[in-house]
Amino acid sequence: MFSNPLHKQKRISSRAFLNRQRKDYILALFFLLPTFYVLFKTYIFPIYQSFIWSFFKYNLMENTDTSFVGIRNYSDILQSTEFWVSMKRTIYFTGVSVFLELIFGFFCALLLNEIFKGRIIFRVIIIIPWALLTLVNGLLWKYIYQPGYGAFTQLLRFLHIIDPNSNPVWLSNSDNIINFVILSDVWKCTPFITLILLAGMQSISGNLYEAAMIDGAGFWAKIRLITIPQLLPSIIIAIVLRTMGAFKVYDILTVFTGDPTTSVSYLTFNNAFRYFYLGNASAMAWISTLFMLLLIIIYIRILKRNTE
Amino acid sequence: MFRKRKFVCFLLLVFFLIAGCSAVPESKSIQNEETKPLNWDQSVSSLKGETITVLWTGDPQRKKSLRLFSKKTGIKVKEISVDYNSLYNKITVAALSNSSDIDVIEMDNIWGGQFYEGNIVTDLTNVIPKDYLDKFTKSSVESMSYDNHVLGIPLYSSTKHFYWNKELLRKANITSAPKTWKEFKEDSKKLKEKGIYASGWSWKQAESLVSDYVTLLYAFDGRFFDKAGKPVFNQGGGLKALQYMVDLLNKDKTVSPASLQWTESDVENAFSSGKIAMMTNWEGIYPEVNDPKKSSVVGKTDVGLIPGQGKVKSAAVTGTAGVAIAKNSKNKAAALAFLKFIGSKEFQVPYYLKAGWYPSLETAYKDSELLKADTIGKLNKIKEQYKYGVDRPNAPGYVNWSDILAAELHAALRQQKTPKEALNSAVKKIEEAIKGNS
Repeated sequence: MFSNPLHKQKRISSRAFLNRQRKDYILALFFLLPTFYVLFKTYIFPIYQSFIWSFFKYNLMENTDTSFVGIRNYSDILQSTEFWVSMKRTIYFTGVSVFLELIFGFFCALLLNEIFKGRIIFRVIIIIPWALLTLVNGLLWKYIYQPGYGAFTQLLRFLHIIDPNSNPVWLSNSDNIINFVILSDVWKCTPFITLILLAGMQSISGNLYEAAMIDGAGFWAKIRLITIPQLLPSIIIAIVLRTMGAFKVYDILTVFTGDPTTSVSYLTFNNAFRYFYLGNASAMAWISTLFMLLLIIIYIRILKRNTE
Repeated sequence: MFRKRKFVCFLLLVFFLIAGCSAVPESKSIQNEETKPLNWDQSVSSLKGETITVLWTGDPQRKKSLRLFSKKTGIKVKEISVDYNSLYNKITVAALSNSSDIDVIEMDNIWGGQFYEGNIVTDLTNVIPKDYLDKFTKSSVESMSYDNHVLGIPLYSSTKHFYWNKELLRKANITSAPKTWKEFKEDSKKLKEKGIYASGWSWKQAESLVSDYVTLLYAFDGRFFDKAGKPVFNQGGGLKALQYMVDLLNKDKTVSPASLQWTESDVENAFSSGKIAMMTNWEGIYPEVNDPKKSSVVGKTDVGLIPGQGKVKSAAVTGTAGVAIAKNSKNKAAALAFLKFIGSKEFQVPYYLKAGWYPSLETAYKDSELLKADTIGKLNKIKEQYKYGVDRPNAPGYVNWSDILAAELHAALRQQKTPKEALNSAVKKIEEAIKGNS
């Protein structure tokens, strides 16, 4: 039996094609190797290492023995008042700040989506707080909250909200501090949400609004029936990105207070890099990560449902 | 689908294999054990051409002194200059990675225990002669020691001092600054009657609060730990000190309430603007307080001993920083020569003259240039306080204990807890921390 030379030709060319494809694949892998190596060393490996450490008593600066303690670090943390206080404050901070940023961001985006003179200038100005370093933002607000001569106290006195002779100390109590941190965070991060929502709004077709207007829809009806549903994917992305950012709040708190129970990240950082209780800190970081993973799963589900 | 799974499995396998080889945590090992002992009397000529790296909080005068050191010894110096807040992290990160890139580090006095037990600095107890250390102010040498181990040479002397506004005190008919905390309380009440905040304090929930508490604890003859190493600051002088602080703030109301969110720099600002009559603060507030552009109390202030109580004449928390040799350094002999230079008049005198830092070297206070530069006559008043320096416990767990204590002290000041409850709680938590880490 003789094989068809045409088929043979075809087989050879398809084999050559496969060989070339394989070569390309290997070349691509080769080019990716440095990136993979850096990512592995700086990202994947530390994550794995922290997971291992979380099962050890590993106090680096105390010249004590390192020993396997199983899940003791996790159980200690889950029984610790400090951890739950910091978790409660973090959740409160995340919830309230993201909610307020979304509300303000939405209305700012609505305003900036309108056509008016100087719109570009306003669009640029609104980015300024977002462009500030978080620490600089913290220092700025720390001065605003200074008792006596601080702008916040002066403003409240001017508006007769507080007695001219009273001198409240805004940042004395850790529970209060969270509220003031929320205020400064809302000021800084609202522009971020504004920009995301503004981009979303610009992709909504003007025809929808025209049709709604013909049907007699007013301002609020247009927002409720067109803007919000059309903007939902952008809103979800903005919420998720800000939630993840807010949950990790740390640097601004270091300016306002020395109390590490004001956020989980602050407490974890102190355990890791001030006390060097690396086992304990790793377990704490993993518990926070699980919370974050839960949020991400919820987000993916909502996004999937929304896309369908 | 199957290939994808195979690929993921392969990746996981590689990941576990590579990570598993080195992931088990180890106590920090000493990479560079001394091969030959350091010799204090070693001639610098044999070290010519060597290069050392110094990690510290830089300032222009320190930079200038590095050039002088290189010129004198032929040892080259690479400087890594960071702000104080980044210093601790830089040092610990370098040590954690077992890096030998850094030879000399700046060490705050509260880090001594951690740096010694964590194998970050070299023990110089058998290297620096005792009679050499006797030339330094008592408080500065103690600040550079941990558990009878000498860890470094003090860059400068530092304790808190007592400052007052003469004009405001005169307004309340107070002719001299208080010598005891009892007098301080009485004077504060007189100032309050005149509508003046008698004092401002750095009582933000931070290290600055613990510093002020330590000053008062020792003034009231209290102790942090007993001889067995058990925390005992919840009784005797420790309790009296906190009760005193709470009373000043909440009962007498003579303290600026903003103190609860102030650190030392905020207190200095309030003092410079004439808003408070008295304060305890670190040295170095002059010349700013006498600079008309920055202060409204030019020539109206004075400085002296922090009050004492009973048989304690005075007590002031120390804040000295020094230079130490990194344990992993490969140029220890050259680093030691650098430490020797820091302890010399050649560094100490210009450092005061140009940067305002008070010498740790006792003999420098007799230097004619130094005396000539003291135009406001504060030098000896400041120096006197160095006899009464008291240290915060600089054991390895101190950073954690300090955070615990600051939280409890703050709760007492805010009247969320009584002083007794707050200190009992702090003692309990610190005992647990000690137990958990032993």
